[in-house]
Amino acid sequence: MSKKNGGIELEGTVLECLRSATFTVELANGHKVHAHISGKIRKNHIKILPYDRVLVELSPYDLTRGRIVFRYRS
Amino acid sequence: MDTLHPASPALDRTTDPATPTIAVTRVAEHQWHAHEDDEVVGRGHAAHRPDGRLFISIDAWHEAVFHRLASAMLADLPRPLFTVVDEADTELTAAWLLADFSISRRERGYLLPTDPAVTGLGAVQPPAGVTIVPAGSADEHRLIALDRTIRAQVEATVGWQTMPAEVLRRPAGVTVLDPAAYTVAAQGSEYVGLLRLATVTRQPRIGLLAVRAEHQRRGIGRALLAHVLTQLHDQGTSRASGTAWAEVNEANAAATALFEGAGARHAATNLELVRR
Repeated sequence: MSKKNGGIELEGTVLECLRSATFTVELANGHKVHAHISGKIRKNHIKILPYDRVLVELSPYDLTRGRIVFRYRS
Repeated sequence: MDTLHPASPALDRTTDPATPTIAVTRVAEHQWHAHEDDEVVGRGHAAHRPDGRLFISIDAWHEAVFHRLASAMLADLPRPLFTVVDEADTELTAAWLLADFSISRRERGYLLPTDPAVTGLGAVQPPAGVTIVPAGSADEHRLIALDRTIRAQVEATVGWQTMPAEVLRRPAGVTVLDPAAYTVAAQGSEYVGLLRLATVTRQPRIGLLAVRAEHQRRGIGRALLAHVLTQLHDQGTSRASGTAWAEVNEANAAATALFEGAGARHAATNLELVRR
């Protein structure tokens, strides 16, 4: 786990793509969160697919929500 | 191409007592941070596309933070400004519209089956006199000439910004980054159509499919698509998903008909927003 610029960031694996532009991501600690794609990722047309390893920034207001800020190369 | 102003150390603080104290700082030429009690609670980013257009993005957990960042960024940056949102993300779309952006383009994302039994393209042949040059076999000079001709034709009519987004950085004047990614349609020694396929991702992506204006409506685009999809299926390149990905401007009726006719499933819609 890292805490970069105030946000808690955790690695995880995308389990499924949901409607309304969100994803279910299983974090390394076993927790599952609903995450959307960061604007930077969308702006760069980076596609997120099931089984992708990603870095998720958790919401400081709701730890079941997050934002995918990086997709690791497989 | 527009240039960005140098980073400004100025802070911009909200005075609304109903919202927390939020300070927005331009931390780098292309980056803004929103701070609340020394914590970063939002980020803004700007970047130029290869076509010179300036795209921005904002990530914030609260609408108030979004609008503080938007206000600071819009004051700093030249117009026009662009951004991209998923149509299904209604909250974010509404926030951008409130920031005086409007929809300039709707881009459909399609999942394309590759199995000829599903696409129905297995028996498709190019029109008489046209041959398909497989990826990796095209003559680079003729390919570049074809790419330039097609770009000029599109630019002179609907504008290149109506084509699928290009985000990879490239040297000035270079539009064909990887010749091996192109499958080409040739009539005699003349190249008349091309399809660019990116296979480095987990899901092959059709980045560009185009035919010279004077050779359109002959089935060349369909023949290129049939060749590439069938090859993907035969090679097992798309085995994990059995699909390829493509983006199409919703206003491009010929392209949407071509893809949907091959069994493509509309999976998502990206909205390109602009503030002029």
